[in-house]
Amino acid sequence: MERFNVLVCDDDTAIVDALEIYLKQENYGVVKVYTGVQALQALTEHEIHLILLDIMMPEMDGLSATIRIREERNIPIIVISAKSEDTDKIAGLNFGADDYVTKPFNPLELMARVKSQMRRYTALGSIAHKSGILKSGGLELEREGKEVRVDGEIIRLTPTEYGIVVFLMENMGHVFSIAQIYEQVWSEPSYSAENTVAVHIRRIREKIEINPGEPKYLKVVWGIGYKIEKY
Amino acid sequence: MDIKLRNIRYSRGAKITAVIIVWLGFLAAMGSSLFLWENRGIAGVSNYARDSTFQNDFATMVHDTVEYHVVLKSEANIKNASTDAKTTANNLQRLHQIEKVLPTMVNFVYYVRNTQTGENWTNLDEQRLSKLGSETVDPVRFIQEQPTTVFLGTSTIEASVPFSQIASSTEDMPAGSPYEVYAAVVGSLHPGDMFYNDFVNFMGTKTSIEFATMVLIIAFVLAAAAFIFLIYVTGRRDPEEEDMPGRVKGMYTDVHTLLVFIAAVISLCIAPGTSTDVPKILTIVALAVVLSLDVFIGLSYVLSMVRQFRAGQLFTNTLLYKLGSSLTAFLRLAFQGKVFKGWMLLLLFGYGIINGLIFILLVAFNSHSVWPEFLFILLVFLAFNAGVAYFSARSLAALAQIMVAVKEISAGNLDYTLSSNDIPASFAAFAEDIRSLQGGLQKAVAQAVKGERMKTDLITNVSHDLKTPLTSIINYVDLLKREELNNETAAGYVEILEEKSFRLKQLIEDLVEASKASSGNLAMTGEKVNLHELMMQACGEYQEKMQQAQLDLHMPTAGEAVVVWADGKYMWRIAENLLSNVIKYSLPHSRVYIDISSENGYGSFTIKNISAFPLNISPEQLTERFVRGDESRSTEGSGLGLSISQSLTGLQGGKFQLEIDGDLFKVTVAIPLWEE
Repeated sequence: MERFNVLVCDDDTAIVDALEIYLKQENYGVVKVYTGVQALQALTEHEIHLILLDIMMPEMDGLSATIRIREERNIPIIVISAKSEDTDKIAGLNFGADDYVTKPFNPLELMARVKSQMRRYTALGSIAHKSGILKSGGLELEREGKEVRVDGEIIRLTPTEYGIVVFLMENMGHVFSIAQIYEQVWSEPSYSAENTVAVHIRRIREKIEINPGEPKYLKVVWGIGYKIEKY
Repeated sequence: MDIKLRNIRYSRGAKITAVIIVWLGFLAAMGSSLFLWENRGIAGVSNYARDSTFQNDFATMVHDTVEYHVVLKSEANIKNASTDAKTTANNLQRLHQIEKVLPTMVNFVYYVRNTQTGENWTNLDEQRLSKLGSETVDPVRFIQEQPTTVFLGTSTIEASVPFSQIASSTEDMPAGSPYEVYAAVVGSLHPGDMFYNDFVNFMGTKTSIEFATMVLIIAFVLAAAAFIFLIYVTGRRDPEEEDMPGRVKGMYTDVHTLLVFIAAVISLCIAPGTSTDVPKILTIVALAVVLSLDVFIGLSYVLSMVRQFRAGQLFTNTLLYKLGSSLTAFLRLAFQGKVFKGWMLLLLFGYGIINGLIFILLVAFNSHSVWPEFLFILLVFLAFNAGVAYFSARSLAALAQIMVAVKEISAGNLDYTLSSNDIPASFAAFAEDIRSLQGGLQKAVAQAVKGERMKTDLITNVSHDLKTPLTSIINYVDLLKREELNNETAAGYVEILEEKSFRLKQLIEDLVEASKASSGNLAMTGEKVNLHELMMQACGEYQEKMQQAQLDLHMPTAGEAVVVWADGKYMWRIAENLLSNVIKYSLPHSRVYIDISSENGYGSFTIKNISAFPLNISPEQLTERFVRGDESRSTEGSGLGLSISQSLTGLQGGKFQLEIDGDLFKVTVAIPLWEE
């Protein structure tokens, strides 16, 4: 199996060293650099498949580096930053990052994200677009096989959960209230507070999302309903 | 009196007594004085013979005697001497009158002798002489021995008492007539005629006068003493009593004086107005009342003056002084340019003078009926005043504009622009001052906002700096956990490290959020939020944790949709904080109630739970940062949850209310309803 290389770039050596340990446990090759300039340099010297990039660094910050990298390369970039403002996240994603993880991060979650991005970058592109497949980013629904995949991995769902995902994916981007979802999926009128819908949705998010608290696909529109984001 | 009583502060009884003494003493003194004045004739003479009544009577009797015996003589004599019937009738009437009166005068004796004929007439016979206790039988001698005796000779008058009336009574006696008249009032009077009656009256009055004099002296002394006492104590405060305000209350001195003066004039007008038709007793009572009133008015006035004097404000506490000093202050300010600018004062003067001149011209032309000139001047007059009115109106309009601006600015509208176009020169500087004041305020507010933002920025930056080392801590603790630790204690330590590092992470995140929320440094994206939907979603998120915490959640079945105008994400943060509090602090096996309602333009949800810990803390304290229901802080949580929820509710224009009733903990979040 081909060994993928991850470029880790942070001015804090302790973090870089820790990430090296985690990444090596996942069988990735690691290239360690400590400034944006070094990162650009390393890209020319090594074959890199994914970049973990801090924002606040000396000698070119992470955002500038992202812009420079995106001028030439399409490799996944995951920004790791202590800046947790919404505006920071939006800026990072707009400048070309594929994901944004705030410090202090859960190392397991970060690894899941690395794997997710790596799969999409290395494997997904090869999968042929079959008919009858609904797709939103890494989330795929194959109705014939009644399968839901995230970044190529099959997710096990109960029939009710599957029903909810199908309904939301068929109407991707639209927001549905609890009552609407209940009536559609259960095929019976909603008489009272159907708390079960919210509980099911929570469980689906735990299965398909890396961080259910900050869902990427199945989003909660608070006070209005739920939707599956269209990517 | 009123004023006086109010200010009595010590030895009140003594003062009241003194006032009563002054009052009664004055009344008594006035009464006795009046009595003495009425009887001043009697009071002035030492014995009865000097009394004017007696002298009048005596003179009358002497006159009657002379008239009877010397002039009229008898009816025959009258008729012979008479020239006309009327005189005769008059003289006859006189004759009978005197004939009737003379014998009744038991104390009056006379002896008339015609020196030519030797005839004599007397009312003294021997019998009467002995009855009167006379030692002699000679009537002339008896008469001359009496204390009050008179002798009218042909050319001489001798009298033992000096009375001029005798002279007039002898005018009737023909000059050079050969008559000698001896007349007297006997020394020891006998009852029966007016001399006796008058004597009794005289003696009685004499005694009364002595009494009245005594009363007068005693009353005067007492009243004067009481008065002096009052003057002495008035205006002095009991040193043991609390200090009274320095200024003495009371009327203005000059106003008071004027009022007292008017009262005096009124009472003087009333006093002589007593007519003889009114019974004497009524007059006396009326007089007493008027005098009493005068006493009280006068006393209160004098004491008030004393008090003012003691307070050193006899002259300063006058209306004239007040008016004068106000006027002086006003004029001083006016000329110092504090009320009017100098030029404004000049303008005012100029306006007055010009108007006056034009008016004088107007009157002059009018009185001389010079029509064309009059009309011209009238036009000038109207035009001038119209111009001044226009100028004043413009200035006032500008002033009104400035006032509106000041009101707006003081109400917080700091960006209100005061346009400089319509402001005339007179108010330009003022408007400019207001503008610079506004600028200063804007700067101050901007500074305050900047300060708040800097504080939030500082917290954010510090939290960034904290997060980086914390990342390493979390990562290496995790790595340590994966190492084969052959020591159970060490594994336990790593557990604690992991738990605490996640606590620290949560704390830092909450701190940043709390600081942003409380400084209002968060942007709000308003949208329709269905509270029922929101609470169902939130409960869906927390259902498993609720079950783990053994809590029984009760939600209302869907009723009318309550839709509020809010930011869904903030609403979720509020619900999240509150529900996680419920899970952390609720008593296991208890029920949690969620209610949704709408009233008064607000949609609200209420969460009620039973606390596992006694909540001996006030709702206000609970929403403060870092305060938690359990003082021991044994549970997880940053203590910022309620503070963040409160700030976020406020940010959305809502009301956040906490109620604690024993162990019942109740939170109500009310958000303005969504309107079309």
